[in-house]
Amino acid sequence: MLKTDEDSDDERFFANMPDFGDHVDNAIFSQILEMDESDQERDFSEPLVTNFFEQADDTFKNMDRALAARDLNELSTLGHFLKGSSATLGFNKIRDSCQVVQQYGHKLTVEGVSEPDENVCLKKIAEALQTAKIDTAELEERMKKFFAGAE
Amino acid sequence: MHHHDAVDLGLLFDLSPLPSLILSPSWRITRASARFLDEWHLSAEACVGQELLPFVQHQLSPSPVHLKFLTTAIDDAIAARAERTSRSMNTKRSVSWKARVIPVFKGDELLAVVTEWHEGPLSELNLIKDEEVRPGLSTDEAFRILVQAVKDYAIFLLDTTGHIATWNTGAELLKGYRRDEIVGKHFSVFYGKEDLDIKKPEMELEICMRDGRVEDEGWRYRKDGSRFWANVVITAVYKDGVHVGFGKVTRDLTERKSAESRLIAAYEESEKLKSDFLANMSHEIRTPMHGMLSACALLLDTTLSPRQRDIVGIMDESGQVLLQVINDILDYSKLASGSFSIHSDIVGITSIVTSVVRSVQTTLPPSVHFELFLAPDLPKSVQGDPLRYRQILHNIVGNAAKFTEKGSIRVRAGVQREDHDSYIVMTEVTDTGIGIPEAAAAGLFTPFTQFDATTTKQYKGTGLGLSIAKSLTELMGGSIGYRPNPDRHGSIFWFTARFKKIKSLEQIHDWKSKLIRKGDAMLAVPEADVISLRQELAEVAPIKSLLLVEDNVINQKVMLGLLRSLGFKNTALASNGSEAVNMVRNKPAAYDIVLMDINMPIMDGHQASRAIRDAGIRVPIVAMTAYALKGDRERCLEHGMNDYIPKPVDKKYLIKVLGKWLLHMKDYRKAFDEQMSKLRGYEALTLGPKGRVADRLEHLSLTIRGDERDASTGITPNASDKTAEETESLQPHGTQSSDDTINAVQPAARTEHEHTSSVVSSPRFEPLLPPVHIELLDSSAGVDLPVAEIIAITPAHNSQTSVKAADSGGDTGTSASGTTATTPLDPPFDSEKDTAEIPHEDVSTLPS
Repeated sequence: MLKTDEDSDDERFFANMPDFGDHVDNAIFSQILEMDESDQERDFSEPLVTNFFEQADDTFKNMDRALAARDLNELSTLGHFLKGSSATLGFNKIRDSCQVVQQYGHKLTVEGVSEPDENVCLKKIAEALQTAKIDTAELEERMKKFFAGAE
Repeated sequence: MHHHDAVDLGLLFDLSPLPSLILSPSWRITRASARFLDEWHLSAEACVGQELLPFVQHQLSPSPVHLKFLTTAIDDAIAARAERTSRSMNTKRSVSWKARVIPVFKGDELLAVVTEWHEGPLSELNLIKDEEVRPGLSTDEAFRILVQAVKDYAIFLLDTTGHIATWNTGAELLKGYRRDEIVGKHFSVFYGKEDLDIKKPEMELEICMRDGRVEDEGWRYRKDGSRFWANVVITAVYKDGVHVGFGKVTRDLTERKSAESRLIAAYEESEKLKSDFLANMSHEIRTPMHGMLSACALLLDTTLSPRQRDIVGIMDESGQVLLQVINDILDYSKLASGSFSIHSDIVGITSIVTSVVRSVQTTLPPSVHFELFLAPDLPKSVQGDPLRYRQILHNIVGNAAKFTEKGSIRVRAGVQREDHDSYIVMTEVTDTGIGIPEAAAAGLFTPFTQFDATTTKQYKGTGLGLSIAKSLTELMGGSIGYRPNPDRHGSIFWFTARFKKIKSLEQIHDWKSKLIRKGDAMLAVPEADVISLRQELAEVAPIKSLLLVEDNVINQKVMLGLLRSLGFKNTALASNGSEAVNMVRNKPAAYDIVLMDINMPIMDGHQASRAIRDAGIRVPIVAMTAYALKGDRERCLEHGMNDYIPKPVDKKYLIKVLGKWLLHMKDYRKAFDEQMSKLRGYEALTLGPKGRVADRLEHLSLTIRGDERDASTGITPNASDKTAEETESLQPHGTQSSDDTINAVQPAARTEHEHTSSVVSSPRFEPLLPPVHIELLDSSAGVDLPVAEIIAITPAHNSQTSVKAADSGGDTGTSASGTTATTPLDPPFDSEKDTAEIPHEDVSTLPS
C-alpha cells in the first residue's frame, strides 16, 4: 500500500495527540488540528477551541436562566446548539450532556420515551448541565495545557 | 432293594420341598406333599380324595377362565404325554398359583398326574416361565431361547398395565438392568422427563391397544442415566383372543442418529460455504464490472471518432447487460438457497416510484411516454425493505420499457389494504407493448424462461428477472401477477408488498444505531479513491462557489476550515435559512452547491430548501445534520435537497459528496436551462391550444419532489412566469387532505385532464407526472425526451447511474444519458428546426 499524505497526516496528528481520555473523539479532533498551518502555531484550532469554551460558557449561562424560568423549549434549543459545536470538535462528553438537555427539553428521555413530568425533566436537565459544566472546565484545563505545550 | 426303593419314593414325595399333589387318572387327589399342605394351610384329610377342580375352585376361587388354565394344562400334558405348566390363576388373596403338570404313563395307561404348585404375583400373563421351570423342547421353548439369546435388540414383554414381565440379553445389554432388577417395574423408567411429562408411555399403550401396534423414535435412558436414540415398536399381545400384554422391541439407533446429524451439519456447512461464496463472488465479479463500466462512461465523454464511439457504445451496452445478468444470477442463487434476507428500513414509496420511473424514462424512445399515478392515501413513510421494493419495481418497469416501442407505460401505486399495523401496497405497471401470448403467460414467473424463444435474441436477459421479482414479493409478504392489457395490446403486471406502519420513536432509534454503523461502512471507501477524488476536487475548487448555511459559529469555522483545506476559497456564509434563501434568490446562478444545516433558528433547512426550489433554482443542496437517520435523509430529499452529510462532518465523506455533485453531476444551470430553452424554442414554433409545455414542465419540476406546499412557508413560485390558467390553478383547492405529493401536483394534473385523452380518470389516482404531449417533439430526434432529462437532473439519488458530465467548462453537445444506445449517435437536428437551436447556443455561454 502506498504511503499517502493522508496517512502520514493522520499519524502525525495522532502521535501528537495528548490523551484527553473519553472527553474527546480523537479522530474528529485530529481533523480540526489538521487544518492548522503548522503544529507549532495552531492558528486555526486554538482560537477555535477558545471560541468554543466562550460559546459553552455563554450557553451555560443561558441554560441557567432558562432553567430558572422553567423554559423547556429554550433549554432544548440551547442543548441542540451546543451539541452541534461540541460534536463538531469531537468533545463527546459535553455533547452527550447536551443531548440529555435537548431530549428532556422535548420532554423525552434519552431513549426517546415520553417523560410528561416537567419536574423530572428539569431535574434531569439540571443534573446534565452540572455534569457539562464540570466536564467543560476539566477539558478547558487540558486543552490549555495542550496548546501551551504546542507553542 | 426294589421294595425299599418304593417306600423311599413315597417318603421322598411327602418330604420333597415342592408343594405337590398326585391325581388319579380321574383327577381325584390321591396324595398331597407336606409342603403343599403347609403352604395351603390344609390337613391331608381336607384334600385327599377330593375332585381336583372343585377343590381348587373352593380353595382359590379363580375365575372360570383361570380355572380353565388348569384344565387346559392337564389336558395338554396328558395328550402330549409331556410336562406342561398352566398359566397363573389369580386368587382373591392377591397371589396367583400355577401348576406344573406331569402325567405319568405306563405304556398307554395313565397311572397318575403329578402337579406341582407355585405361588406367584398376580398376573394375567403367563407365557414364559421362570428359568427354573424348564418345559421340554416345545416350540415355545425354542422361541424363548431365541428371544433370550438375541443381543442386538431389547425384546421383552409387558403385562397389560405396562409392567415388565420378561427380559432378554439384548435388553440387559442395551438398558443396563439385570433381569431381577427390572421385572415387575413399569416400563416408563426408560423414558426421559419430557416424555413422562407428556405421558408418552401411557399414550403409547393406548395407541397400541387401539391400533395393535405403535412405533416411536426417541431418547430412552439406561440404568446409569445415559441415553440412547431408540426405535421402539410395541405390539399388543393376545392369547386365545384375550389381551395378555405387550411385546416391546427396542433398537439402539444412536449410531444412525449421529450419522444423520453429521450429515445435517455437513449440509449446513456446505450451504454456508455456498452463500459465503456467493457473497464473495458477487463482490468479486461486480467490482471489476463497475470499474469497466465507469471506464467506458469516461471514455464516451472523450473526443472519439464516430467509429470509436460506436465501439465503446457497444462495450458499454454489453457491459450493462452482462452486469444485469450477473446480478440476476447472483440474486437468484441467493433466493434459491434461502439466504436472501429482507431488511427493515424506512421506505418512502413515493420517492422510490418516482425515482424508478425517472431512471427508466431515460432509456425510452420519445414515442413512449410515462404516466405515474400515486394514490393520495399512499403513506409517506413505512417500514420495509426499500431496496427490494425498488428492485421489483425496476424489474417490472424495465420490462415494460424493453417491450414497448410506442404508446405509454403507466405506473400506479396505492394502498390495497390496511390493518392495524401494516399496509398492503399495490403497484401496477401497464404498458402498450408487444404483450404476452396466452400460452406463455403461465410460465412467466418460472426461472430461466423467456416467454418467446425467438425474442431472446432481440431482447437480452437471463429470464430470471420475473422469478426473482416473484420470490422477492413473497419475501415481502405479497404476490405478483400478470394479466393482458384490456385497452390495447400490451401487459399489466402488478405486485403487492406488505409494509409495516411506523409506530414509535424507539423504532426510529433502532434504525438510528443501525444506520450509524452503516454510515461507518459507507465511509470506508478505498483510500486511493478519496485521494484521487480530492485531487480532482482541488483542480476545480478555485472556480467553485459555495454557500454554507450554518448557525453555530464553531461549526461555521470548522466547515470553512475543512473546505479551505480542500481548496475552496469562495465560500459564502449564511447563518440561518432565510438569509440563505435571500442570498440564493438574489443570485440564482451564483453558487455551485449549498451546504445546509437543518436545525437553525428563524428558518430551518427544510423550509429554506423548499423556498429555494419554489423560486425555481436547482442548485444542489446538501443537508448537514446530526441525525444519522435514513428517514431524515428521505425527508431531506423530499424537501428538495439532493444529498446528505451526517454531522460531525467527516472529511472523507465531505470529499465524496462534493466530488459527486461538483465533478460528476451535470451543472444544474446548464442542464436545466438548456432543456428549457430547447423546449421554448419548439413551443415557439408549435404553440397550439395545448398551452406551453415548458411552463408546465418548469412548474412540474418544482413540484416533482413532492414538497409540501405548506402555507407557513409563505413563498410561492414567481407567478409572473406562469400563464393565467396556471396561476389560477395554483390556488389552493379548498381544504383538501394535506397529502403533500398529490396536492402539490394537482394543478398541473388538472389542466392536463382537459387536454390529454390518455389520462385515466380515477377517483383514487391522480397523475403525478402528467403525460406531457411529447408527440409534439417526435419529429426531432435531437431532443431526447425533455421530460426525462429535466426530471433526471433535478433530483438526487440516481447518482450511481449518472454519467460524468463532459467537464464543467464548455461541452454542450453530450447528452447526459450516455448509457442509452441512441443518444451518442444522434443525428443532427433537422434543418427546419434549426431556429430552435438559438436559445440552445445562448445556453453554452452561461457562466458555470
